[in-house]
Amino acid sequence: MGEEEIIRLEHLTKVFRNKETVTAVDDVSFTVRKGEIFGLLGPNGAGKSTLIRILTTLLMPTSGTATVGSCDVTGDPEGVRSIIGVCPQNSTLDLELTAYDNLDFYGRLLNVEEGILAGRIGELLEVAGLSDRANSRVSTFSGGMRRKLEIVRAFLHRPLILFLDEPTIGLDPDSRFEVWQQIARLNAEETTIILTTHYMEEAERLCTRIAFMDKGRLIALDTPENHKRALPAGDLIDIGLGRMDERAVAAVRESGLVTSLEVKESSIRIHARNGSSVLPAIIRIFERFSIPMTSISIHSPSIEDVFIYLTGRKLDSGNGEPAAPQKGRGRRP
Amino acid sequence: MMRGAVAIFRRDMKKFISNPFVILMTLFIPIFYLVIFGNAMGGTITGIHIAVVQAEPYTIETPLFTQATGALREFRSAPDKPPTFQVTVFPDEERAKQALADGRTSGAVIFPSDIEKGGAVRVYEDSSDYMVPAIMEGGVTAAVASTGAQNPVEFNRVYGKIEYFQFFGVGVIVMAIFMTTMMGGAFALIRDREQGIIEGYLVTPVKRSSIILGIIGSGTVRAFLAGFIIFIVDIVIAGIVVRTTEQFLLVLLVLFVSSIGVTALVVSVASRFNTQQEYASTVAFFNLMLFMTSGAFYPVQGMPDWLQWITVINPEYYTVHALRSILIRGQGMEVIGTDLIALVIFSVAAIILGITTYKRTIE
Repeated sequence: MGEEEIIRLEHLTKVFRNKETVTAVDDVSFTVRKGEIFGLLGPNGAGKSTLIRILTTLLMPTSGTATVGSCDVTGDPEGVRSIIGVCPQNSTLDLELTAYDNLDFYGRLLNVEEGILAGRIGELLEVAGLSDRANSRVSTFSGGMRRKLEIVRAFLHRPLILFLDEPTIGLDPDSRFEVWQQIARLNAEETTIILTTHYMEEAERLCTRIAFMDKGRLIALDTPENHKRALPAGDLIDIGLGRMDERAVAAVRESGLVTSLEVKESSIRIHARNGSSVLPAIIRIFERFSIPMTSISIHSPSIEDVFIYLTGRKLDSGNGEPAAPQKGRGRRP
Repeated sequence: MMRGAVAIFRRDMKKFISNPFVILMTLFIPIFYLVIFGNAMGGTITGIHIAVVQAEPYTIETPLFTQATGALREFRSAPDKPPTFQVTVFPDEERAKQALADGRTSGAVIFPSDIEKGGAVRVYEDSSDYMVPAIMEGGVTAAVASTGAQNPVEFNRVYGKIEYFQFFGVGVIVMAIFMTTMMGGAFALIRDREQGIIEGYLVTPVKRSSIILGIIGSGTVRAFLAGFIIFIVDIVIAGIVVRTTEQFLLVLLVLFVSSIGVTALVVSVASRFNTQQEYASTVAFFNLMLFMTSGAFYPVQGMPDWLQWITVINPEYYTVHALRSILIRGQGMEVIGTDLIALVIFSVAAIILGITTYKRTIE
């Protein structure tokens, strides 16, 4: 394992065999570097949570190896557990306990020294903005408050690696923003963070590198900028037209300014590298044919565009298999 | 309205059919009730240990002794049943009474010496057992009558007259322990698993032995408190008498060790289950089986052999036996020592089973 690497996966596969066989993780290999915020992005059912559960020793891989820190997840799960912090997708807070007691319980499970535990809990409640609610039962907390509490809980023992599985799922924009700030602060303390999400904005904003997963497979891994640069199509320009004119469309197509052009009912969609600089020339072509333009929009590719390009599907279309099909296991809402 | 009702009906039926384990257990329980209740309650009590002695001074065996002992050996509640008594001849009255005091026999029959042929036949009975004295009185009377002798028969209930209320009161302590255990520690374990809370702490360095020991610890305290409260209730309303401080402390010791044993058993069962439904139906089954065969409300001798075998591995049987020894028969460590050892062995085995079967992954 190289000095920079902190996690290494080699041909990791997980197959669930119940009524139907589901390959949740299919031959995935990658490495995570120390100190980065590594994003696992993909639609529901892409295998992100299963992958996280393998890396956090909750599930055994069917085949392949995974090393976290210097410990193998199957050979030395105890070693893995002592260096990681985990914030699972479904809340695992004990609703009947207070915020303080939840942290106290985990502090003891995580072997935080008795002498510093109380101070550490106070510090983290402060970070989560929950100091004034420390002695309230978690059942009285809003979704955002619970999430923030759960994230700081994962950080009680200052783990080397922090796993966050869909940290902002179901949160309102304000709470989501606060969670992002919290994640960035934790990363500043040199913690490596593995984050799964199906919100592209979240991934784009936080992650140093993004791995795309779909149907259990790793389909691309790079920095957000490189992902976008890899798109052949470039920027996207939508122009609404008063009437459709074949000659004008042909003229744009032949102008050499665009990489591709799609004609819709009353608009055209153009892909062009460097969209903002070629747009005036395109507008001039339509003016020459006296075609009224009803709207113009231009946008740079987003991470979502990358995903659509890679899979032909939208990111949150949610048409995948459940993350871990397990009979008889209830889930919290 | 009907459409909604049908929708609810369909949903529940689908869930019902999709869980064969629970269906099986729900059918299993009434069938087991039938088998155990039917056999335990309606069964004939046989094989009661009884000591026979001819009183001192001893010169020769009297015909009364020989014939009555023979008749006792052959005594049956019905022609097709096995003999009611298992008769052992003791060399002297002292040893026969000691065996009774130690609980090795349920009664001692002292026949008069050959120098006072008309003397009374004295019967000492373990009256702590609810059914046995009446059967023994019938048996001995019949055996003496069958010899044609006119000797009077004297019955002595060594622990006085024990009301069924007292007999059963002691058994209920065990039920309190089990019920609390069912709703206590193991239940928390299942709830954590079902609600997914378990995912939170399985990724911490906590060992599975710590999880199991912690759960058993909290469950034991609760079970002990419940048993203790019922013990106090027994003293107040069921007329159970605690004679010495030593007895009181011994009861606490038995309650404590039993609480560990029963809690560990239930936790070791629970450590494999994922849902409350599966757990509840299995534990209800255990509860029934252990309580029925514990002798808490019906003497074990009345059960068929195969059921009596269950009592050997039933921790509740040892608890009931130990508590009755202390509270009703006034016996001490010399008698309950075996029960305590059995409970300790059982607890250790259940704890080890619980730890080794506990699933450290969520699959």
